[in-house]
Amino acid sequence: MRSTLARSMDRQRGHGSLYWLNKYKLPFLFLLPTAVLVIGFLGWPMLSILYFSLQKTSLQGTSTFVGLGNVRLLLNEPRFISNLGTTLKYLGGNLGLSVPLAYLGAILVTGKLRGTGIFRSIFLLPWIIAPVVSAILFRTMLDPRLGPVAQVIKWLTGKEALFLVDPDLALLTIILHSAWRSFPLEMLLISAGIASIEQELYDAAKVDGAGAWSRFRHITLPLTRSSLVTAILVITIWTLQDAEGAYSLTFGGPGYATEVTGVRLFKEAFIYFNLGIASTIGSALILLSVLFMVLYIRGLGMGEEV
Amino acid sequence: MHKNKTSQDQNSNGKLTRREFLRRSAVLGASALAASCAPGALPQPPAAAPTEAPAVKEPVTIKVAHYFDPLQSPAAQANLDWLNSVVDGFKKENPGIEVELEYFVWDQIDNRMILDHQAGVAHDFTFSSPQLMPKHFEAGGFLDLSPYLSQWSAEEQEDFSWSPVWNKSRRDGMQIAVPTGVHTRAVFYRRDKFEEAGLDPDKPPETWEQCLEAAKVLTKEGQWGLGMYFGPTRANMEIYFAPFVWHFGGDLWDPETKQATFASEAGVQAAQLAYDLVFTHQVTPEAVIAGDYSEVILNGIATGEFAQAWGVGSYWIQPVQDNWGHLENCFPPSVDCTPLTGDFYVTPTVPQANFTNAWCMSIHKLSQHPDEAFKLLEYTAKADNLFRFPDAGLPARLSMWEAPEYQTPFYQTWLEAARKGRPMPATAHYPELADTCAAALQEILVQKSPIPETLKKFEDEWNAKYAGA
Repeated sequence: MRSTLARSMDRQRGHGSLYWLNKYKLPFLFLLPTAVLVIGFLGWPMLSILYFSLQKTSLQGTSTFVGLGNVRLLLNEPRFISNLGTTLKYLGGNLGLSVPLAYLGAILVTGKLRGTGIFRSIFLLPWIIAPVVSAILFRTMLDPRLGPVAQVIKWLTGKEALFLVDPDLALLTIILHSAWRSFPLEMLLISAGIASIEQELYDAAKVDGAGAWSRFRHITLPLTRSSLVTAILVITIWTLQDAEGAYSLTFGGPGYATEVTGVRLFKEAFIYFNLGIASTIGSALILLSVLFMVLYIRGLGMGEEV
Repeated sequence: MHKNKTSQDQNSNGKLTRREFLRRSAVLGASALAASCAPGALPQPPAAAPTEAPAVKEPVTIKVAHYFDPLQSPAAQANLDWLNSVVDGFKKENPGIEVELEYFVWDQIDNRMILDHQAGVAHDFTFSSPQLMPKHFEAGGFLDLSPYLSQWSAEEQEDFSWSPVWNKSRRDGMQIAVPTGVHTRAVFYRRDKFEEAGLDPDKPPETWEQCLEAAKVLTKEGQWGLGMYFGPTRANMEIYFAPFVWHFGGDLWDPETKQATFASEAGVQAAQLAYDLVFTHQVTPEAVIAGDYSEVILNGIATGEFAQAWGVGSYWIQPVQDNWGHLENCFPPSVDCTPLTGDFYVTPTVPQANFTNAWCMSIHKLSQHPDEAFKLLEYTAKADNLFRFPDAGLPARLSMWEAPEYQTPFYQTWLEAARKGRPMPATAHYPELADTCAAALQEILVQKSPIPETLKKFEDEWNAKYAGA
C-alpha cells in the first residue's frame, strides 16, 4: 500500500486520479463488495428515510411533497417533545445502571476466581432472551395482583406496588429492563478489553507497591477505555432505537410517560401507517445517534486510538 | 437408435440417469421460461374446455389468516379447534381445495393485510375487525364481496344485514366483510357475593346509580365492587371511555367535520366518572390503570377480586363457564343454561351506548383464488359452523336467535345488550383516535391533571394531524 507521500508525489508528477485509480485498482476491487453492501443496505435506506420524511403518505400508498411540514408538526407537538425527553432519561438511566454493573461483571468473569465460567453463562442469559419475552416476564413479575415482586413489596410495606401505574416507576421499570438486557453485551466488550491487558503490567505495578485500587485506576481503566467507549456507543444506539422492549412492557403508558421515540416510531409506522412522520422520527434518531457518537469519541478520546 | 439412446439414459431399474434428468430439466425449464414470457402469461379468462378429454383441475391451496394462538389461552385453543374442524369439513366438501393456516397476532392481523397489500404479498381468506373497516376502505386491501353476495338469496342476505357490523363493512355499494358473530359487552356479577352483601342476585342493577351503589356495598378488604380497565391499550377507550361519553350524550368524532370531539362536556363527565370510581368512591382498584384488558378483567374474575366486572365480552362466556365454573350449560348455548355463582346484566347506560363489534371474514384483494376463498367464507358462515364458534360471541345470523338455545333468560340478556350496541366512529384514523383517548384518560388518572384542559390538549393533538381526513 502506498503512503500519502507517494500519492502526493504521483500528483506532483502530473498523474490524475484516473491514472491513480487504474494503477491501484486491485485494492479498490477488494473494497468494492463492502462498498456495494454499505451503499445498498445503509445508504439507500437512509436516502429513502430522508425522502419519505419530506412526504405525506396516504393509506393507498401515494405520497405528497410537504417539505419540512412533518418536522414542523412534530416540533410543535408537546407529545414529541415529551418523547425526546423520555428517550434521554431512558438512555441516561440505562447507561448509568448497566455500565458500572457490566464493568464489575467483566472484572469478575476475567478474574482467576473459581466458578467464573458459571457466572459468565448466567450473565449472558438476559442477552439471549428475546426482548418481547423478557418484557412480558417483567410485566408478569410486577403485576400488582399476581406478580411475585409486587407481592413481596406489598408484604414488606403493606402497600400495593403499582409499578406500571405511576409514571416515574413505569419509566424506572423500562430502564431496569433495558439495563438488564444491555448488561451482557457491555460486559463481554469490557471483559475482552480487560483480557487483552498484559499480566506483566500488573506484576510490575505490584513490585512498585501499587495497591488494587491503584492498579485498577492506572492500568485497567485507561487500557479498557476503548472497549468501554465501544460498549457505551453500541448500547446508546441500541437504546435510542429500542421499541420492542418498552412497548411490550408498558405500551408507552401510562399516558405517554414511557413513550420513547422508538415506540412512537413503531406506532406511527406500523399501526397508523404515517410513513412521513415515522421517517422524520427515524431521521431524528439517526441524527441523535450520530451526535452521541461524535460526543463519545471526542469526549472520551477514542478518536486518538482508532 | 432413439430407443437405444433412451435405454442408455435409463438404468436397469428404469430410473432416470443424471444426464437424462438434466436434459429433461433443461427442456422443462426452457419451456416454462418461454411460457412465462409469452403474452398469454398473465391471468387469462378460462379457455374453452377441450373436447377430447376433460382437463384435470390442479388442486388449489388457499391461505387462511387467523389469530388463534393455542399457547395464549385455552380459549384460543378452543377457537383453533373450531377453525380446524371447519377447515376439515370444507375440505371434505371441496376435495380440490387445500387450506393452509397463517397465524397473526389478533391486533395486528388487519395491519398486516394492509401492509402486505401495499407490499404485493397475497393472502386469501382472513379474519378482520369492523373498527378498521374505514381504514380498509381507504387502503383498498380487501376484495369487494358484493358480486358474490348478490348471488345469495334475499333471505340469506337479510339474515346478516341487520347487524351494525355488516353495515360498518359496507360503503358506496361495496361490501368488504361478513360478520361471524356479535361481540357485545355486559356487566359480570358474582351472585354469591351479592348474597353475602345482602343484595338480591335475581335483581341486578338496572341503572348506573344502582350499579354504583351495589359496587360500594360490595367493596371490602380484598374485594372490589366494580372492576374496570383504564390501561394503556385501545380497550380503555372502546369498552369504557367511549360508552361513558355516549352515555352522557356526546361522541368521540364528528362525521360531518371529521374532527375529534371527545373534549366536550360529555367527555369531561366521562373522564370524571372514571376518576371518581378509582379515587372518590374507591370501588375500582388503581391497578386497572396498567396492563392489558384481558389480563385485568379476566384475572379479576379468576381471583374473585371483582364482585362485578364492567365490559365483559360475549366472547368470554366460555371461559367464565369452563375455567371458573360460574355458569352451567351456557356454552355452547343450550336450553339448560343455568347461571351458578355468576351471571351478567345489561350495561346500565342509556340505549346505543354499548360498544358492539364482531370478528368478520374478508378476502384479500391480491388473492389468487378469490372464488375458492369465498367458498370457504360461505361454508364458514353456515349457521351450524357459526353456532360452534367460541369467539362468535353471539349469533351474527338473525334466524339463529330464534333457536330455543337463545330463548333462555341468560341469552335474552345478551340480546338486549346487543340491541344497545353501537360501533366505533367511522374514521380511517380510528386506531390513532382510540390511542389518543386512552392516553388522555390515563394522564388524567395518573397525574390527576385538570380534566377539561387535558382532554382539549389531546383532542387538539389528534385534530392537528387528522381533522378533515
